[in-house]
Formats: sequence, structure tokens, C-alpha cells
Amino acid sequence: MKKFLFIFLFLGVSTVVCQNKQVLYNWEVTPQTLLLNPGSIVSGRFHAGVPLGSGFHFNVGSSGVSVFDVFADDGVDINTKITNTISRLSSRDFFTVNQQLDVINFGWLSKGFDPMYFSGGMYQELDVIAYFPKDIALLAWEGNRNYIGKAFDFNHISARADLLTVYHFGVNKQVSKKLTAGVRFKLYSSMVSVSSTRNKGAFKTALRPGSVNIYEHTVTDLDAEVKTSGFISLDGLEQSQVSKKLLGRALLGGNLGIGFDVGMTYQFDKQLSLTASVLDLGAIFHTKDTERYKATGDYTLDGIELIFPELESDQSTIPYYDNLEDDIVREIPVDTLNTGYTQLRPTKINAALHYDFGRFVGDKGGCNCKNNGTKQKRVSQAGFQYFSIFRPRGLQMAGTLYYTRSFGNTISIKTTYTLDRYSAKNIGAGMFLNIADINLFLAADNLLQMSNLAKANSVSLQVGLNYILN
Amino acid sequence: MDVKITKLFFIFVSMLLCVCCFDDTDFDQANDVLVTPAIELDLIYFNLEASKFYDYTNNTEILVVQDTTDLDFLGGDDITNILKGADFFFEFTNSIPRSFNVSFDFLNQDNVSKYLMQTTVASATADQPVVSYFIQSLDELQIKELTKAKKVLVTVTIPSSSQDLTGVLNLQSKTTYYLQIEQ
Repeated sequence: MKKFLFIFLFLGVSTVVCQNKQVLYNWEVTPQTLLLNPGSIVSGRFHAGVPLGSGFHFNVGSSGVSVFDVFADDGVDINTKITNTISRLSSRDFFTVNQQLDVINFGWLSKGFDPMYFSGGMYQELDVIAYFPKDIALLAWEGNRNYIGKAFDFNHISARADLLTVYHFGVNKQVSKKLTAGVRFKLYSSMVSVSSTRNKGAFKTALRPGSVNIYEHTVTDLDAEVKTSGFISLDGLEQSQVSKKLLGRALLGGNLGIGFDVGMTYQFDKQLSLTASVLDLGAIFHTKDTERYKATGDYTLDGIELIFPELESDQSTIPYYDNLEDDIVREIPVDTLNTGYTQLRPTKINAALHYDFGRFVGDKGGCNCKNNGTKQKRVSQAGFQYFSIFRPRGLQMAGTLYYTRSFGNTISIKTTYTLDRYSAKNIGAGMFLNIADINLFLAADNLLQMSNLAKANSVSLQVGLNYILN
Repeated sequence: MDVKITKLFFIFVSMLLCVCCFDDTDFDQANDVLVTPAIELDLIYFNLEASKFYDYTNNTEILVVQDTTDLDFLGGDDITNILKGADFFFEFTNSIPRSFNVSFDFLNQDNVSKYLMQTTVASATADQPVVSYFIQSLDELQIKELTKAKKVLVTVTIPSSSQDLTGVLNLQSKTTYYLQIEQ
């Protein structure tokens, strides 16, 4: 299992904070932009990604803490720094890891009466999000002594991790002179999945006048669940068997799901355009190899009441402790279920306004003839991008200002400034190189933090190698 | 032109790779992480009626009453390794016009005493309940003995009793456990 994950992580782990690929979005020169907006304007006739190398995206991020906050070599005791960090973070802070590896990526222009650009492929994705379980962390780190009367909320436990492959096929069509639209169908194959979200209930230690003992320890309205899929059958297997099993699931042998992306580009005029896309509108149906652990109930613990019974010599004492354990199990049962469940994919929304300016790129006389001359490509583009993703606790959003500059058809650079929950000073940049139809791109963000990643709240990297025939 | 651009591209990549680092950090600090929660937990409680100290069938005093309960969570290597201290707090409210000796004897599975706590409860006066407190703090060495125990035997001793004795001896108790979890 570890080996398999390592291979995936080593080869393809790529995550950008929040799954936001702001540098790649609408960067028309890369085939990966079609994955971010199936309604992008496509200028090529054919593209094929280098298998396992056409696109790699990695992002890790945390919204409220950096490595430096805890591990700074500043002479302060690390336990003090952890205490301060727990105190500063809220239950809405989160940690994310997202990685995507393009295994296959291809596309072609279908000529004829009604030209359309078809594209498809398969990629692997690891997506992890864990909200900071503030109350639980506080309870574990400090205990309840300094928090008598405080309700520790189980709702703070919210996390989800998915490892899956995605098979996709999309079609992109210029609907009118102004509108280009696209749709992409997706088939998900889940390898492993674990999640615990929407938990309810609280634990409290309280002093209550008139109670039978000094405290009342109460668990109220508990409704907590951990859902797993794909783990049971891996239990006890050798590493090689685990790898084989996961590979089988990657090849459509896992729990399947369906979804789709939609997108569009609307050109107001030859310089101003609007793009938008909705990605991963879909769900995975976990029907096999599932195990769910569910705890519900209420319970009040007062300690153990001794009643000093009058016992005969052959009578045993009252099993107070066993009775207490039985009471807890009866009042807060933990059920293990093997029933299936459906899990929505984290849907993403992109939208952007783009303005082209500067002289025309020498692209067949400045006219993109495959798009019926609807857009003349200029050397510069600037605009504003919006990104959001549905997470267990609601939308996470980011806004990006960007500038793209083309140097002929050989090189293109894009710089971005992004504002999100992680940072207010996120500068990103990407460079695209096209030599003899071989297309290589590299993009990263949080460049200001590159000199010391320890201080960065997020790090993102994307690289890819494709063959594009224009 | 292409050569220059290619060079530029690789300079960009090299810069990214070269400048990335973790400065001014010390990851060895992870070895110093010490989780030290202090946990407050109710222990035992009882309401002992004065009638418990008299045998009405045989018209004789009962000067000693006892009860016992397992405290399974105390024993075991897991708790022994992380429990570094404990404060036991007992609050007695006595409305019986007698004083009491109360002992808490922590026994192992073979009923061998591993740790003993004893206290005296003051007598009620003129029908007024009297509140007595008993606090016992255990250091790490004492805790080592305590965690060998699996149960507690509570013994309440009254100096004298009678059939017309009335009132209640109430006990409420809690423990503060000081844990220390290292890497």
C-alpha cells in the first residue's frame, strides 16, 4: 500500500491549494486548459500527451498555519508553539492535499460540416481535505480541566480523502461566432475512500448544583460516522497484492461513479471575453467493499455509585464497572455497517473575464481560421479569474488577477496574483515552451515564498509535456 | 532564438528548484513534543443511610460497611506509561451524628493492597450536616503503585451505632489525572 502510494506521489503528486489551477486556467496553449474548461477555444488540430507526463499537478496547503509557525528555529519551546497554534486556528481552518497525474490525454479536431474538437484521457487523483478539529485537538492537548462547562463539539471532525482514477471524454464546439461551449463526461473509479463529515453532538464536563457527583460528563445528541470504501479487502494483504488490487481498481475495477464538466467561452468582441466552467458535477457510488462506523446516542456519566449491599458469604459483589461499560455501549452504540453510500464529488466552479490587447501574434495573419476568424490572437491578455470549490463546510473561494504574454508561437508566460484563504500575497507564474510542436509547461504559485517554503501556507506545482499539432 | 528561449525556460525551472528550501526551521523539535492533558473525571459516590450501620433483625451494631468496584482503566501498561500524577478529591457531607473513618484501598487482581488512602469524616452537629474534604495528591512513584491496582475497596467505619440513629453520609469524588505522552 505504502509503496503504491509512494509511486503515485512520486510520479504525479501535484496539488495546488484548493485545487485552484489559476495559472493553467484559460492558458489556451496547454491541452490541460480543456480539463479546466471544456468550452475553451481550441486552436490546435490534434494533441497527445506524453503518457504519465502530460500533466502533473500538486498542491498542499493549510489555511491557518505554516510549517514555520511550529518548527521555526527560534528558541521557543515547540509545545508552546503548538499551544499557540491550536489557540489561533479555528474549526474552519483546513489542510488540503490535491494531486493529479495525467496518464493519457489526447484530442483531435473533427473536420467536416460541423467541426468539433474531441478530447479524452484518463488521470489519477488524490484529494485530501481535513478541517482542523479545534475542540478535539484542545481536549487531546490540554484535557478538560481548564474547560469545565465547555461543550466540545464533534462537528469539528470533518475530513475526507479519496484516491481515484478518472476516465473522461469531451466535446468542444464553436456554437456561434461569439460562443464556444463544451461538455466532458467522466467515469470515476474509486480506489480507496474515507470520510467523516457532518458529525453532530458534544461532550461536556460540567458542575451542576444538585447532581449526584461533583461533575456531570455528558455526551449529547451524538451522531458521528466514518465511512470507508476499499479498505476491508486490503486488510492483511501483502504489499504486492495491495498494489495489484489497487491497479485493478484504477482500471475501472473500483467503486464507480459518473459526472460531467461543462464550460463556455463567450466573446463580447474581439478583445473582451468571458469564460466559465463547472467541473466534477457528479458522484461516486460506493457499493462494494464498504465499511461504515456509526455512533449515536446520549449519555451522562456521574462516576460509579456504591450502594453497599448486604451480601451473603457466597454472593459476589456488584459488577459496577461492567455495568457502567454496558450502559455506555447500550446508550451510545457503535454500529458497523456494510451498506453502500453515495458521495458527491467536490464540484469546482471557474469563471473569468479576459481582455486581449497588444499587437497580433503572427498566427496565420492574425486570424484563428479554425474558429472562423472569431478571435484574433493578441500578444497580451489580462483579466480576473474566480474559482470556488464545494467542500464539506461550504465553498472555498479564490480570486486571481493575471497577465499572459506570448512571444510568437514558441513561448508564452503567465503571471498571477491570487487572493484566497491561504494567502493574500500569492504570486504565481507559468512558462510554456513549444518547439517543433512539442509543448512543455511549468507553472507554480506562491513564488514569494519559494525562498523559504516553511513560511508558505500553500505550495502548488504543475508540469506537463504534450504534442500539439496546430 | 529557440535556443535562447530554451535556455530561458530551463533557467526558470532551475531557479524554481534551487531557491526552494526550508530555512530557519528545526524539524528535530518534533522529538520534544510532549502532550500533557489534565483530565477531570468523576470517581465514586454514595449515600450511606445511618440504618446501614444497624442490624435490625439481630439488634446489633454494624460498625464496618464495605463495598468494592473494579476500576479497570487504572491498570495496564498503556496508562502506567503515560500517567504521571493524580489528585484525588473527596467531599463528604455527613448528617449522621457520628464521625467516620473511611479508607480507599486500591487492590490488584489478587486483592493485594497497592495503595491505601484513609481519612476521617467529622460528625454532624445538632442536625446540621458537616462537610469534610480529603485531598490526596500522588506523585509519579505513587502512581506507579496505584496503576498496579484493578479495583478499589471502600471501607466505612463508625465508632458506635444504634437503632435510632438517623442521617446520611454522602460522598462525592473526582480525580484529576495528569498524563504525559511523548513521541
